[in-house]
Amino acid sequence: MATQLVKGNTAAVIGALYAGCDCYFGYPITPASEILQEASKYFPMLGRKFVQAESEEAAINMVYGAASAGHRVMTASSGPGISLKQEGISYLAGAELPCVIVDIMRAGPGLGNIGPEQGDYSQVVKGGGHGNYKNIVLAPNSVQEMCDMVIKGFELAFKYRNPVVVLADGVLGQMVESLQFPEVSVKPEIDTSWAVSGTPQTRENLVTSIFLDFNQLEEFNYEIQEKYETIEEEEVDYEDYMARDASIILVSYGISSRICRSAVDQARKEGINVGLFRPKTLFPFPKKELKEIAGSKECTFVSVEMSNGQMLEDIRLAIECSRPTSLVYRMGGNLITMDQVLERIREIAAGEE
Amino acid sequence: MVIMDDYGKFETAWCPGCGNFGILKAIKQALVDLDRSPDEVLIASGIGQSSKLPHYLRCNTFNGLHGRSLPPATGAKVANHELTVLAVTGDGDCYGEGGNHFLHTVRRNPDITMIVHDNQIYGLTKGQASPTSEIGMKTKVQTHGVFNMPLNPLSLAISLDCSFVSRGYAGNIPHLTKLIEKAIQHKGLSLVDVLQPCVSFNKLNTFKWYSERVYDIEEPGYELNDRVKAFEKSLEWGDRIPLGIFYVNEKPSFEEHIEVLESGPLYKNIPKTELVNKLIDGFI
Ligand SMILES: Cc1ncc(C[n+]2csc(CCOP(=O)(O)OP(=O)(O)O)c2C)c(N)n1
Ligand code: SF4
Ligand SMILES: [Mg+2]
Repeated sequence: MATQLVKGNTAAVIGALYAGCDCYFGYPITPASEILQEASKYFPMLGRKFVQAESEEAAINMVYGAASAGHRVMTASSGPGISLKQEGISYLAGAELPCVIVDIMRAGPGLGNIGPEQGDYSQVVKGGGHGNYKNIVLAPNSVQEMCDMVIKGFELAFKYRNPVVVLADGVLGQMVESLQFPEVSVKPEIDTSWAVSGTPQTRENLVTSIFLDFNQLEEFNYEIQEKYETIEEEEVDYEDYMARDASIILVSYGISSRICRSAVDQARKEGINVGLFRPKTLFPFPKKELKEIAGSKECTFVSVEMSNGQMLEDIRLAIECSRPTSLVYRMGGNLITMDQVLERIREIAAGEE
Repeated sequence: MVIMDDYGKFETAWCPGCGNFGILKAIKQALVDLDRSPDEVLIASGIGQSSKLPHYLRCNTFNGLHGRSLPPATGAKVANHELTVLAVTGDGDCYGEGGNHFLHTVRRNPDITMIVHDNQIYGLTKGQASPTSEIGMKTKVQTHGVFNMPLNPLSLAISLDCSFVSRGYAGNIPHLTKLIEKAIQHKGLSLVDVLQPCVSFNKLNTFKWYSERVYDIEEPGYELNDRVKAFEKSLEWGDRIPLGIFYVNEKPSFEEHIEVLESGPLYKNIPKTELVNKLIDGFI
């Protein structure tokens, strides 16, 4: 299959095209604007729809409209824009609509800057908008995965009729790596069992998040919780890099996981028994797997993230605080360094904890 | 007496030759001509190249969210209506992302001077179409050319009965300075839409393009309070583009509707605890 050097942001659009995505709605924001640009180039070329909206709220509500009609829809943005999309995401989840949202995280809070960060973890993984809902969240760490996880995102979005967020950051978006193009391309087809596409078959279908009856809404809430439980049972994905036999386990996703991998290699050369556990799905979070590791031996967990311990909380919950945990982090748009991670590994190995 | 230096000198992050420099100069000159000292002035902005302007003036400044220059400006004006409040924004910031705030701020009519750097493009995000981009203009996103009708800010403002509606040009600084002065002196919301060449990303609406088209609206018999005539004038765009004040309607400002402000700004008007206690007594 064809291989080419491309940017992470471009890879996300390539993934969308192969996944049969036929509508893109966006609004410019650095460092996600290239996704808009690439979509504006390729979507019309292939007879698919592209709209530059007047704001992020407009874009996510266009997603709502087109997703209701059964289309395979994508939007992308970054921190401040994702915050604005939250109202729409809650409605999409409430109406059980599939869509893929790419978040190229930048540094916050507020306007912050355009440097890479992972500070959107909580707003994306924990829901972010109002109500008892969850997004499915995929975390790529390479250009290849930027493409593959958008494709996977569409698969899961339609399997569960749920919004999927591909959570990347400024570095992954800008990074150039070789991309192996997908083998198959999905032909967009409308699922007439639930979509409302203005045809006789879909006449009886209803897409809504309004349940004026309290009992009905309660029942619906229980139903979606069951769906989330199924997702937790079936869709967990992670990479285990020598974590199972390690006594120091780094837990890290996205761009920081690549730095961790180098740190693991270096520390292993120094004879330190360290490994990397990389969640590829953040919801569902690989709780069971982390708990298994924690239960199998004496070990310590280190959350390596470019945020203020947002993922660390989930690690503690997963292992039920049964082992020591600590945090190596950086914020504000600066990358974590390998030395920073190594320093912590050496401290723990030397028993300085 | 206030002098230019009071407003400081700063390094800017704008491209050399950008129209924003002319607007900065005109704003500074207008404030000096009106003898407003920096401590009496608040400039609120959103996000964009235009919205960086408050960073280049030594006075009270607020650089907020994209699209949201007007709500904080309104909030600040309510808190202290003795301040001279300017809202500096861009065509994308004000007419796109923040379009809703524009409509409702016009309705509310706070005594704020809005200066919109209208370069007909998104400058900061490197050249996508904005709500005022011309039909047919090609950008890296609008690769086949813009096909949405551009928004006409002046017609919109006049149709909403905005109390002061004007257009300036970054290439005519003395004219723009006078316009901003009048806008600041006007009591109520004043719109100054400024044609501002973006030399890096808008290759269509250049200094040359604007200079060949603009003319001063001031002519004998032009009545500033004739709304229909003003609307008609605001539709003129193309070979000739009018500059100046299109429409003025003196009416009470938002602050004048707020009774408590009659006795001075809130910071001087600390709420009396006796009143609160009396209210609480009524509850229990
Ligand atoms: C919520 C949010 N969305 C998008 C952006 C990215 N953004 C910054 S400025 C801007 C548009 C700027 O255009 P305009 O208001 O015309 O200002 P100019 O740079 O042209 O002066 C955009 C889309 C942002 N900072 N925040
Ligand atoms: S990009 Fe355009 S608007 Fe921004 S500073 Fe440069 S010339 Fe001015
Ligand atoms: Mg602009």
